[in-house]
Amino acid sequence: MSLIEMKNIKKDYFLGETVVHALRGIDLQIETGEFIGIWGPSGSGKTTLLNLIGAIDEPSEGTLLMGGREVCRLSDNACSELRNKTVGFIFQGFNLVPVLSALENVMLPLQIQGAPVSEARTKALGRLQEVGLTDLVAQRPSKMSGGQQQRVAIARALVTNPSLVIADEPTANLDSETARMIINLMRELNEKEQTTFIFSTHDQRLLDRVKRLVRLEDGRIMNGGAKPC
Amino acid sequence: MLNWMKLAIRNILRNKRRSLVTLAAIGVGFAAVSLFRGYTDNTYYGLRESAVRGEGLGHLSIYKAGWLEKGKLDPQRYMLSMEETRQIIKIVEEEKEVILATPQIQVTGLVSNGKISTIFMAQGVIPKDDKTIKGTWNAFRSIKGESLDDKKDYGVEVAQDLAGYLNLEPGKDGVVMATTLDGQMNAMDIQTVGIYDSGSDATNDKFMRFNYAFAQALYGTDKAEKIVVLLDDWQKTESMRTVLSARLAQAGLACRIKTWKELSLFYAKVRGMFDMIFLFLFSIVLIIVVMSTVNTMGMAVLERTREIGTLRALGLKRRGVSLLFALEGGLLGFLGSLLGMVLHIGVWALIRILAPTYTPPGVSTPVPLVVNLVPQSLMTLMICLILLSLTAAILPAARAARQNVVDALGHV
Repeated sequence: MSLIEMKNIKKDYFLGETVVHALRGIDLQIETGEFIGIWGPSGSGKTTLLNLIGAIDEPSEGTLLMGGREVCRLSDNACSELRNKTVGFIFQGFNLVPVLSALENVMLPLQIQGAPVSEARTKALGRLQEVGLTDLVAQRPSKMSGGQQQRVAIARALVTNPSLVIADEPTANLDSETARMIINLMRELNEKEQTTFIFSTHDQRLLDRVKRLVRLEDGRIMNGGAKPC
Repeated sequence: MLNWMKLAIRNILRNKRRSLVTLAAIGVGFAAVSLFRGYTDNTYYGLRESAVRGEGLGHLSIYKAGWLEKGKLDPQRYMLSMEETRQIIKIVEEEKEVILATPQIQVTGLVSNGKISTIFMAQGVIPKDDKTIKGTWNAFRSIKGESLDDKKDYGVEVAQDLAGYLNLEPGKDGVVMATTLDGQMNAMDIQTVGIYDSGSDATNDKFMRFNYAFAQALYGTDKAEKIVVLLDDWQKTESMRTVLSARLAQAGLACRIKTWKELSLFYAKVRGMFDMIFLFLFSIVLIIVVMSTVNTMGMAVLERTREIGTLRALGLKRRGVSLLFALEGGLLGFLGSLLGMVLHIGVWALIRILAPTYTPPGVSTPVPLVVNLVPQSLMTLMICLILLSLTAAILPAARAARQNVVDALGHV
C-alpha cells in the first residue's frame, strides 16, 4: 500500500466569476521513505498539490488516499488528528508561534495530541538536539536567525515522528550556506528515519539532492508522476 | 492545560496597550458595580435596622385576623384581648429563635401645650421591651432627655419637630386628647421625658411614644393592636412566620402575621429603586465589557490569522482554537476583575478615611456614606465578568476556528 495515492485529482478556485483550474487531473503515488521534489514555474500548482497531500485542503474532484484512508471522507476533527499524527509541515516563512520559545514551539504538536508535558519536553529536546539547537531552546523566534528558525520548524515537523513531512519552499528565505545545511539535515533525517519528505522548490541545490523529481506545469504532471522502480 | 494557559497569558501581553485598555474597562466597570453594590448593601442594612428597630416593627407583627382590613372601622372587635395577647406571647416565646414578643397599640389624637394643639400619632410600647427592640439603634439616634419608663406612666417621648412646635422640652407638661374605643372624648396629662428623631421629615412633626398602659388608658381599653416579635436573625423572618402561623392556628387563634418588609413601605420602595439602578448600571458595564472583549479578541483573531492556520495545520481542532481564544477572553475577565477589586478596596479605604456624609431625601439628619466590603458579591461579580468575557470571546473565536486552513496560512 502506498503512503499517498492520488487518482485524477482536480482543484478549482473561484475568483469572482472566474474559475482557476489549479490542478487538472493529477495521478501520483508516493511511497514511504521517498525524498521527492516538486518543481515547476510559478502558478503551476505546486503549493496546491502540497496542501492537498497535507490534508489542509480538499480536492474539487478525484480520490486522495493517505495510508489507505480516503482523506475527503474524513470529518474535520479526524482530518486534524491525521495531520497531527501523520504529517509534519515546514513552511517557507517558518510559521513559528512568536510568543513561544524554540522548545515550546517544538512541544506544540505533542501538546495538541495531549501528551504529558514531561514527555513532550523530552521528545522536543531530543529533536532540537538533532537539528543542533540545544543552546537556543529558551530563545524566542524573534531572537533567532532565519536558518535557526527553519531548524526549529524542522524539529517541530518531526517531533511526532510523522510518516510524511511536507515542506513548501523550505530554503526560499535562507542564504546559500544555511540552505545547504537545511537540505543536508532533511536528507539525513530521511535516510536515518525513513521519513518521507515532499517539498516544492525552485532551489537547484535542493533539486540536485532529491531521489525523485515531479515536474508540474499548468496543473498537470509533466514527468516524474510514476512510481520509481 | 497549563501550557495553553501560558500561551493565553503571553498572547494577552502581546499587545500590551490594547490589553491594558480592555483590562481598565473591565476593572473600572467591576469597581463601579461592586462599589454601588457595597453602598446598597449598607443602605439595605440601615433601612432594615431602621424598620425593625427604629420604627419598632420587630421582625414579625401578629394581628387578629381582620384587623388589617376592618380594624380601623371596628377596633373593639379586631383588637387582641388580654387573654389572646397572653396566649399568643406564650406560644411565640416557646420558639428558641424568638428573643421577645411584646404587645403594642397605636393611638392618634390631639396634643396640646395648653395654648396650641396639633395632631399626633403615638406608639404605645412596654418600655423595657422597647429597649430590647431598639438595641444598638439608640446609639445611632439618641434621645434628648430620658427614655420611656415603666414607673412613670404619663412620661412620653416626642418627635423633635412636634416638640419644637409645642415647645415641649423635657420636663414640660401637656395634654393628649383622643376618642376612646367606646366613642367618648378622653384627655390625659402628659410630661415630656425625651425628644427623639424619628429619622424622617414626614413623621418628625407627628410622632410620639407612650407607655403601653398609658396608651391603653387613653383609648379606654385593655386590648392590644398587635404583638411585635423580635427574632435572633432577620433571615429567619419568613421561616418563623410559617412556623408561628401554624402554631397559632393549631391553638385556635385566628391571626395574621406580617413581616417587617411588608409593613415598611419605605424599605420596599427604596430597595426597588436601588435594584433598578443596579440593573441599569450593571447593563452598562455588561455592554462595555462585552464590546471591549469582542473588540480585543476580534483584533487578536485578525492579527493572528496566520498563526491560527499554523496551529490548525499542526492538528489543533476547531474546538481547540475556540477554547484558546475563549481562555484569553476569560483571562482578560479575571485580570480585569482583579484590577477592579484593587480599585474597589482603594475607594473603600478612602471613604473610610474621609468619612463623608450626605442627607438623603426625606431624611432629617445627615447620614455617613458607607460602602460595605461584601466578599460574596465581589466573588459573584468576578465569576460573572469572567463568564461574560469568555462568552464575548467565543464569537471571534468561533470565526477564527471556522477559517479555512489554507486561507489562514496565506493571510498576510
